[in-house]
Amino acid sequence: MYKIKSWVIENHDLAFAILLAICVYGYFALTNEYFATHRTGFAIMERFAVLGLVGLALTLCIIAGEIDLSIGSNAALAAVIVVRFTDSLGAFPALFIAVSVSTLIGTIQGYFIAYLRVRAIVLTVGTLMLLRGVALFVAQEKTVMLTDFRVPDFISTKMMWYFSPASLLVIAMFVVVGLFMSYTRYGREIYAIGGARKEAVAAGIDLKRPMVIVFAISGLCAGLGGCIIGLRSGTAQALGLQYVLLAGTVAAFIGGVSILGGKGGVIGAAIGTLTVNFLNTGLVFNVTPAFMVQLYLGVLLMIVIMFQTGSRFFDDYQRRQQILFDVDARKAPLLARKAESLKRKNNIQFG
Amino acid sequence: MTPLLKLSSIKRFFGAIYALKGVDFEINTGEIMGLVGENGAGKSTLVKIISGFDNGYTGSFALNGSEVRFANPSRAERSGIAIAQQELSLIPSMSVAENIFISGDSVPAIATRSALARKAAPFLEEVGLEDVDALMAVNRLSVGEQQLVEVARLLAQEPQILILDEPTAALGESDSIRILAMVKRLAERGKSIIYVSHRMDEIFKVCDRITVLRDGESQIPQTASKLNVASLVELMLGRELVNMFPVHGDVTSDQPLLEVRDLWPDGTLEPFNFAVHPGEILGLAGQLGSGSGDALAVIGGAKSSRDGEILYEGDVFLPTSPTEAIARGIAYCSDDRKVDGLFLGRPILENMTSPALKSFSRFGIIDQKKEREQALSNGEKFTVDVSRMDAEAGVLSGGNQQKVALGKWLAINPKVLLVNEPTRGVDVGARAEIYQKLRDLANEGTAVIFASTDIQEVAGLADRVISFYRGMQVGEIVKDQITAASILQQITHPFDDVPQKPEMAE
Amino acid sequence: MSAPITQPTPNWLDRMVRDYSAFVVALVAAFVVIFFIGMATAPNFLTLFNLKTIIRDAALVGIMAIGLTFVTLSGNFFLLSLKETAALSIVAFATSMSAGYGFEISFLFTMVIALISGVSQGVLIGLGGNPIVVTLGAAGLLFGLGSFWSDNLVISFRRPHGAEWLGTGSFLGLPNITVAFILIAIAAEMTLRYTTFGRQVYLIGANRAAGKATGHENFGMAIKTCAIASVCAAFVAIAFSAQFSSAHVNYFSSEFGSSGDMTIMVIATVMVGGNSIMGGVRVKSALQFWRGVYLDGGQYDGFAWLQLGP
Repeated sequence: MYKIKSWVIENHDLAFAILLAICVYGYFALTNEYFATHRTGFAIMERFAVLGLVGLALTLCIIAGEIDLSIGSNAALAAVIVVRFTDSLGAFPALFIAVSVSTLIGTIQGYFIAYLRVRAIVLTVGTLMLLRGVALFVAQEKTVMLTDFRVPDFISTKMMWYFSPASLLVIAMFVVVGLFMSYTRYGREIYAIGGARKEAVAAGIDLKRPMVIVFAISGLCAGLGGCIIGLRSGTAQALGLQYVLLAGTVAAFIGGVSILGGKGGVIGAAIGTLTVNFLNTGLVFNVTPAFMVQLYLGVLLMIVIMFQTGSRFFDDYQRRQQILFDVDARKAPLLARKAESLKRKNNIQFG
Repeated sequence: MTPLLKLSSIKRFFGAIYALKGVDFEINTGEIMGLVGENGAGKSTLVKIISGFDNGYTGSFALNGSEVRFANPSRAERSGIAIAQQELSLIPSMSVAENIFISGDSVPAIATRSALARKAAPFLEEVGLEDVDALMAVNRLSVGEQQLVEVARLLAQEPQILILDEPTAALGESDSIRILAMVKRLAERGKSIIYVSHRMDEIFKVCDRITVLRDGESQIPQTASKLNVASLVELMLGRELVNMFPVHGDVTSDQPLLEVRDLWPDGTLEPFNFAVHPGEILGLAGQLGSGSGDALAVIGGAKSSRDGEILYEGDVFLPTSPTEAIARGIAYCSDDRKVDGLFLGRPILENMTSPALKSFSRFGIIDQKKEREQALSNGEKFTVDVSRMDAEAGVLSGGNQQKVALGKWLAINPKVLLVNEPTRGVDVGARAEIYQKLRDLANEGTAVIFASTDIQEVAGLADRVISFYRGMQVGEIVKDQITAASILQQITHPFDDVPQKPEMAE
Repeated sequence: MSAPITQPTPNWLDRMVRDYSAFVVALVAAFVVIFFIGMATAPNFLTLFNLKTIIRDAALVGIMAIGLTFVTLSGNFFLLSLKETAALSIVAFATSMSAGYGFEISFLFTMVIALISGVSQGVLIGLGGNPIVVTLGAAGLLFGLGSFWSDNLVISFRRPHGAEWLGTGSFLGLPNITVAFILIAIAAEMTLRYTTFGRQVYLIGANRAAGKATGHENFGMAIKTCAIASVCAAFVAIAFSAQFSSAHVNYFSSEFGSSGDMTIMVIATVMVGGNSIMGGVRVKSALQFWRGVYLDGGQYDGFAWLQLGP
């Protein structure tokens, strides 16, 4: 019991995210009889497949102290590519090409950010627009569609009630990336350049490697996500998928990343995405108009803000109490010695 | 004997300015070479070049007889050269073990944190941190301990040539001794160490030879045993420095100017009580963690305190924020100017007027002429080079930066000036100028209180000393009894007459 | 002391800014941003948009960018809620106009609403809340409120109305909205260069801790800058509404007209053009800024997302 309590206090942001996820899920499960079913669960996981990837990618970018604003455009491009070429080349080869392209784009972006020392937010604002143009070109300004909609059905095969090949793949990615971030030096480098960029460079870390890794993963996630959506729906629009950037960012922050970088994790990304998904799906079930979804998302975010701000004050208070407590524990023997010493001096004077 | 490392005619310029004008440097195997010089003489530039952080130089760089050129620090590290820099390069949120193994060849690609902790153990022991939990985040350690972790990281790279840039700057007495002992041990094992420091006593305790840099040029390395402090200082400055410290002042009245009553800063053991009189400079002596600096921070409104009040000009109060303190005419200058003493990216002019912005403006508009006049005059008083008033504060040398950090407070016409570590990271020449100015201010009626871990500084500058030990106020030393020895005694063994039970290390 | 100083010789962009004042550069920058977005997203761009529309769009984005620049310069990152503040504001304005209250009252009413939303966000940010998160949340709330208030319908008010001059009038050949932009840019520049407030913006932005130590706290600054940005967004909304004599909460969203996501465009403009508004001692050219900052060894300050200035 004590162990749980101390873990909660150590990782309060993550603990709160979990609590929030449970509350949101619980609310909808209790108020809507269709919510807590396998079918809904499946729909949620399917949504998770795409948003989870984006949330993961953005979490990584923010941990590294950067952001990838072009992730939506990159995903849209991948969707267009995969849909366009499935007819002629088959689903798997088209998938392979699309993901390769998006990963390559990410890698190049990461390299430029490190090599030219441009801030990612600046570079990706440009690539956001550039990639949209490229996608338009590839799609020849139309909405691209498959001729045979059954070809990609396999990625949505229901497995174990809640999952499909797509969502299982995404879960696998979460696990791999999570292990990578926690247990390898490359993952630690990413945390370092995020939370303490100056110190990391002074310590001899070369920015190129972690930056390229982070943006390559971001590109990979964007590509996979775009392909999943493209294949699932059988259509793709060059200017679509822009909402994933906002949704992913919200998910990342709910999951506990810090704007200053260096903080957060893969688990947080998963929890954050799930929470956003629960909210979205639940509201759709309750037949809420689209603009109200935004409102609720805003409220959810506000709750997280209140908590994070409050927990910061609590942290400061705790720290102060700790210092005072430490002091009180330490002082008795020292003060005794001081008193002794004074007494002796007085005795010598008068004695 | 061919030197292990030999640099010849190294030139480095930035834009139109030469940082290094043709420097020669060498070191032998198993030698401890001291590197000294004023701020701005080029020490940092030189060690950055040697350690691979700077590739933009011309000249010859020979390691083991063959020419090399390092494109980045990793290459240098691979060739056996590693540096513990002056600027902190620890990642605050990461653990000690992770920080030790954050970059370099000795870092395993895949490892759990506990595995890293195990690997880090021997290096932590080497620097005296064996009791520290290697899984603890470094931002929970004291500054001194953090510095030691930096050195541990250096050792983990198992270099042949170690560069230590001001390793004891943030350390207390016992930790400094530990470092010096470690350096000697490493040299005996055949490692070469380049020891950069302002602390003369350490240089002489540990170095075999000393290279002096002056204005971007190097002198022939001197054997340490053939030099003394005075001659070394003369080499550094190119002139004699007769008096570092100004003449002591005289108290003009028995009535205290400022009284501190029952002040109990967070983290100290019991309340403090002391006072400062007009015309005197009061020095608070104590090692790191003794509470001396905390007292000043509380008076300046920068730190919280359980209790206490200030008595000044009939008013009784305790500032709860720097803004309040400034409104009362209290100026507090912290011990780390890079953190909150300067606006590095802004022009010096703006720095100089920042605490008193409102006094230069009417209806919200800044009177630029008045502002410039004030800044120039205050700058001159502190001997800041006023021709560069529009340059960014970041381009100044350490000594000049400190002068700006201190001098800016003149803008509020402070009645009380509190300074924590008045000359940290400041070279000999600038130090004397700062001391003189503090003396002038005290003579003019400002209450000047400073805290310092540098015993020589306290002994030289203070007219009266209050000593602190581990969070307690332990003693007072007046006028003629102020010597380095008496201060040292009080801040390290104040209760020497009472038998000491074995306790945890400080 | 022989510490090296580097003063770059001014290039053509620096000189242009110095001679013609920064607002010209800001306008050009906003123009360029819009232009490129248009090129990227609509290949038959030049036929769809005529010059007037471009200039109008640039002015709208530009005014919001100027407001946002205050926030960014003070070190409070970005407000992601400007688009939604505009959405709520436009609903407020049109509702008031269609209810017959006239231009002056509607203007004031809208400004008050924007002020409230700006101050609230500023308070949360000043207390230590993460600006990106706070404003993302606020965005959702504001947009939701706007939709709710207007029932997601278009609100229109009859011509002639008191706001004609702002919406469709012109002065010396330039649309009034562009004139407004120029005036606002000049005012902003003046404020930043010559007032105490402007100086505080720079100081707190350069080093928040040092600001606190010298008596300039971020709490008040966050509130003021957020208020300024929100008020600018409201102004844009009013001008836009005046032009069409109507309002819908979606007028600023991507689906409707305009060339792209307004939030992204405003942020992009701040990054590219806002930096030139900075004035001060060293004016960094936008080009130099785009190449990032190179100070031997690379210096990155605590704001991991942003590097404005040296």
